[in-house]
This record gives sequence, C-alpha cells and structure tokens, in this order.
Amino acid sequence: MKIESLSIKSLTIGIFSMIGIIAIVLSLFAGSYFKQAALDAQIDSLSRVIEVASDEMLKQLRAFTFDLGMKLAHSKELINEFSYSASSGNQKKLIKLLDDPFINGFVGFSEIDLKKIRIYDLQLNLIAENTTDSKAKDNELPQYITDHMLKRSLSERLKAYDVLWLSAEGPLFSTFVPLGGLRPLGYVEIVVNPLLNLPDIGKITKTPVHIYSINGERINSNNQKITDGHLPVEFILNASDGVPAFRIVGYENIDELSREMENTQSLTISGFLILSLATLLFALWMFSRFMFSPVTRMIKDMEKITHGKLELTVSNKGLSEFNILADAFNSMTSQVRMRTNDLQRLLDLDDSALMCFDRDNDVVYFNEGATRLFGYENEEVIDLDTADLFKNDISILFNNAQTGDSPQDSLREILSCKHKDGHEFKRNAVINVVDVMGQSGYAVVLNMALNDDVASTAQNDQRLNAVEQTLSNLLAAAKDTPGIMSVTGESDLSLIDSALAGKQKAELREHVVKVMSLALTCWEHDLGKTKLQLAEESGIWPVYLDKSTPTTRTLDKYLNIELCPKNPRSQRAIDTAEFVIRQVGMKKAAKCRDLQEALDAFRQQISGVKASNK
Amino acid sequence: MMNLIPLLDLYRFVLPGFFLITPGLASAENKPHAPQSIQNVTVVSAEQVIENILTNPDLLIIDSRKKSEYMKGHIEGAVNILNTRLKQSDLERLSPDKTKTILFYCNGTRCLRSSDSINKAKRWGYKKLIWFRGGWKEWTEKRLPVITY
Repeated sequence: MKIESLSIKSLTIGIFSMIGIIAIVLSLFAGSYFKQAALDAQIDSLSRVIEVASDEMLKQLRAFTFDLGMKLAHSKELINEFSYSASSGNQKKLIKLLDDPFINGFVGFSEIDLKKIRIYDLQLNLIAENTTDSKAKDNELPQYITDHMLKRSLSERLKAYDVLWLSAEGPLFSTFVPLGGLRPLGYVEIVVNPLLNLPDIGKITKTPVHIYSINGERINSNNQKITDGHLPVEFILNASDGVPAFRIVGYENIDELSREMENTQSLTISGFLILSLATLLFALWMFSRFMFSPVTRMIKDMEKITHGKLELTVSNKGLSEFNILADAFNSMTSQVRMRTNDLQRLLDLDDSALMCFDRDNDVVYFNEGATRLFGYENEEVIDLDTADLFKNDISILFNNAQTGDSPQDSLREILSCKHKDGHEFKRNAVINVVDVMGQSGYAVVLNMALNDDVASTAQNDQRLNAVEQTLSNLLAAAKDTPGIMSVTGESDLSLIDSALAGKQKAELREHVVKVMSLALTCWEHDLGKTKLQLAEESGIWPVYLDKSTPTTRTLDKYLNIELCPKNPRSQRAIDTAEFVIRQVGMKKAAKCRDLQEALDAFRQQISGVKASNK
Repeated sequence: MMNLIPLLDLYRFVLPGFFLITPGLASAENKPHAPQSIQNVTVVSAEQVIENILTNPDLLIIDSRKKSEYMKGHIEGAVNILNTRLKQSDLERLSPDKTKTILFYCNGTRCLRSSDSINKAKRWGYKKLIWFRGGWKEWTEKRLPVITY
C-alpha cells in the first residue's frame, strides 16, 4: 500500500481503533488478573481469620483449664494430701482426689476433653496423676516445657502457663497453675485434647472447617456442607515449640464473590468499552473539527487557487500548524498574483504590439501597444479576429513555415495589417505557437516601425518568450478567473466549458444570428431605418470608417452565420433586440412578434446553458 | 412553611432525646481514669504485689470492689470492703496500727474505688499505703492465682 493512498482521517481512525482494541484486550487481561488477585487476597484474609479464630478458641480453652486448675490448686484437701503424700509416700487419697473430676464432673465438663490431671513438685517432678483414663499413654512433658518453667523467676512462676504440645497420642493442651496459691508447693497440670474445641473455629469464621492431622488424616470437622463453590483455605496451627500440630482447612463460599466479581468485571469492561467508544467518538469529533475539516477546506481552496483563482485565500482558521501553512500558502498566492499583475502591466507597457489568438483565430489578448497600433478601443477588441487585423492568414503562414525541412517554433514575417479606419500598413512580426486554454493558439509581436526588423530581432525573440510565458500564466489564470484578462473574461460563452462547447456554441451562434437578423428586419421594416442607423442610434455596435466610408463590420459578422464569432457576445444581441422592440413600441408588427419570441427563446437557452454549466 | 410544621413537631420529640442520650454516650466514652499516682502512696504492679505478699505476711489487702465481683474472684487473702462503705472504725479494727502497710486494689485503671479508699485511709492517718492501680484486670491478664469462692 502506498502511503499517498492513506488519508489522515483513515490513519487516525485506524490508530484509534488499534488503541481501542489493545485497551479492550488489556482490560480483559487485567480483569482476569484482578480476579485472581482478589481470590488470593480473600484466601490470605480468611487464613488470618482462621488464625484469629484459633487464638480465640485456645483462649476459651485456657479459661476452662485455668478455672479447673485454680479450683484444684486452692483445694485445701488436695494441698493437704499433697503434703501428706510427700511426707508419707502414700498417694492413694491424692490420686483419688485427682480422679474425682473425671468421675463426678466439674463446671465446664462438657466444654473440654479432659485427658489428665497431674501434680508436680516445684522442680516439676511428677508426684501423682489421675488413673481413670487407663487408655491414656504415658505422655511425658517435653523437655522444653520443663526448661521454660524452671527458668522463670519467683513471681513469674505464680503465673499460669499454657502450652500446646505434641504427645505420643497427638497434640495436647496443658495449663500449669501453682498448687497452693501465692505460696506454691508444686504445680497442677490440666491436660486437655484441643481437638474437641477446634471445630468451634467454624463458629467464629462462619464457614465449614475440617481439621486434619499433620499426617493428612481428617480428624474432625464442624459438619457443615461443602459445595463446589467453596474455596479451601488452609491454616497450620503450630505447637508452642513451633512444630505444626494441626492443619485447619476452612472453606470460603466464593460463589457470591465470583458472581459479584463477574458482575463487576462485566460492568467494568462495559463501562470501559462505552468510555473508550465515547472517547473515540469525541476524539474523532475533535480531529474532524480541528483537523479534518480545516484540511479539507484548505485542500478545496488550494485546488481553486491552483486552477487560477488567485484572488481567493485559503482559510487560516484552524490549529497552529494549519494557520502557519495557510498563511504561507496565502503569502505565496499573493506573490504569484502580484507577479502576474506585474507581468500583465509589463506587457501593457511594452512599446510593441502584443497579441494572442485562440484556435478559432479570435483575439484572446491585446496589449495597450496593439490597441494603439490598430486604433481600436479596449471594448472593441473582443469582437476581433485575425481576419479583422491582418490581410495574411496567420495559420496558413505558420503551417507553411512548418512544412519546410527545418520546422521552426517561431515565424518571422512581414504582416499586412488593417487599421480600424481601414488603411493598411506593414509591420515586422514574430509569430509563435502558444498554448491557449489547453489548445494551440498564436502569439504575435508587431514592431511599431517597419524598419526595426534587423535591429530588434533579438529583442523580439526575448519579448516573444516573455509574452509566451506570461500569456501561458495569464491564460491559465484567465481560464478560471473571469476578468483577469479583459478580452477572454467578457465573453458570455466563457462559462461554457470545453465539453459543452461544440453543440451548444453552434446553437447559440445560430440563435444570435437569428435574433440579430429579426431585429434588423424589424428595424428596417417597421421604422424604415438602415443598419448603419441601428449601430449609431443603439450605440451597441461600433461604426468603422473604411476609407472614409462608415461600415458596421462587427454588426455584419453577427448577421452572417459564416462570419459570426465562435464566441459571440450574446448580450449584445439581446440588447439590440430589446432596443429595436422599444423603438418599435406600439406599432408591433408580425416581424416584431417573431423577434420577441426569438428573443425569449434565446434568453431561455442562455439561462439553460449557464445553469447547466454551473 | 406548612411543610415545616411536621418537621418542627418531630424535632420537639427527637431533640430532647438526643440531649438525653448524648451525655450517656459521652460518659461511656470518657469514663475517667484513675489518677496516675496519689501523693505519699506507692503504686505497684502485679509482680510487686506478689513480692509484697511474699515478703510481708502481715500485709493487709483490701478489695474495694463490690461483693459480687469479689465473689467471682479475688487475690488470695484480700478483704472485701466497698469504698463507699469503708469506715474509719472498720479500718482501725483491721489495722489498729496506722503504720502498718495496707494494699488497696479494685477493677483497674478505670476504677476509682481503690483510689477513693486510699484517700480516706490517708485522711484517717494511715502512713504506709500501697496502691495496686492495675487492679483485678492486670492480675487476671497475667494469669496469677485467684480465689474464686
């Protein structure tokens, strides 16, 4: 694809569309990413919730074990038996007291899974333990617990100590309280299995909870139903020494979350699309308003100027760059216009007679020197052709010159010229072929004096070149700029473009001749006056003096289809007909009615031609 | 103007309620703290209480809380006398010697009972007064031994 075939508009739309598509794809990716990120955040959040719930569950457990421990630790009976057993070695009653809570129960019996009650001395030597749980294995305290408790200061030893530790039968929770209160004799250890309380985590998190051993075996749950829409979230509950004790899996129902996220995603993408589209349309409107329209306007103006309408200017209303561009173009056009005017003035100032004729030998340019030399007024020049000005046929002369062995671009010849008053004179001429509105024409330079020939040959060549170049510029401009040149611009048929020229011109010429003939007939018949009188009284047609004899050469041309100019001045014919009708007045005869009808038909044809040409 | 009348009627009932409720909320939010210290009174922590108990077997501990609170749990050896019911004669009966050390405590830093009791004891001429400002809250948070009967 060639870059010239691309317009700014299509390129802009393409770029915007590309950006839009990329934005949509990115938004889809971003949506998926954010969905996953939200799920991860949800998992992380629930994991922390489970952690907090685990702490809360252990706190509740601690409260039960502490209460039971305190009750036993301040039991005077137990203290006495402890002292007695230490001195006597008889632990029977002490063990019975330790078995009592397992047999008779205690406050909070159903809330905890009490596994053992043990009594230690102050050096943490086991003194006695309950015997009711025969299946319970010998779960000795890990060394780190003993070490920690023995390292404590005196005041610290009075504080209850809670520990989650791994026994041979699994994780257990123990609370140590000082036996005997503020003046301790030993320690009471309340040992419970936390597995009973772990499902309570689900009550706090309000989710299904499964408890797994570290081996992966499911050991408890809160018996809530799990569906496909539940997302498992894992939390590892560590023992006090940092070793994993339980794997707690909470199940978060993400159905609603997923639905909300999908809704949010759809809403976001829809909103994004609408926003992108609106932005795209707005951007296109902005581009159209501030870029495309000024450019289109500039291009149209430039095309008109390129076709010769140098008096036009390109609108500089637009963005800064367009303003600069338009101003630069207008400045250039202005310079071209000035240059053209200067050239035309130069041609007029030249003391030679400079003329240009079109393919039909009609005058298209006449400088001031030529009007002076031939004695015509400016307004009379428009009806002239080569036959009115020269006795020689220029086209034949030129064609003869081209048939020789060495064809020449220009022809030097002495031409027999005809003055307006009828006298003839000779002048040295240089004839050259020039382009006249896209067709071949002739440019003629005549010296003011016959004997200038030899001396001014080089000068004539230069003039002719200048005329040729200037004319080509002027004629190109005159083609689309009525009025830029006096001769070409005044033709009523100048509006007819080349495509219409053939048939319509012929019909117009026929009508012009018909109207003029009827007008003259009416004039002569009804008023009894001559053709010369018509020219003189109407003032429309020039009267020439041909060897002291007044003639109406131009009027005569309009009465003969053979002589009628190729581009006849139709307004003259209309003015003449109206003048005759006015003069005849009430005495309208049949001839005048014919004239009126022909005039009306001619006007219709003229308006039709102008309309079709527009 | 006609439309404003129901609104004015509404405010006639709502505004007084607002002014009644707001001070209540404010008092809950701005419940005063016990003073940081009391002149010529030793302020101690839970650990220092234990040291005092262990080093001074004759230490008199007065629980200035309500009886129901005392029954739920108290420091071993504490005597329950509500601050508002504390009389000079009661204190003199428990500690005739005004140079004897007496420890006061109540619910915690937001409780003004023990400080009130201490101020009374100071007025009555007791010289060695100890204030466990953290009170029952600090004691139980540190999981120290409690008597629950």
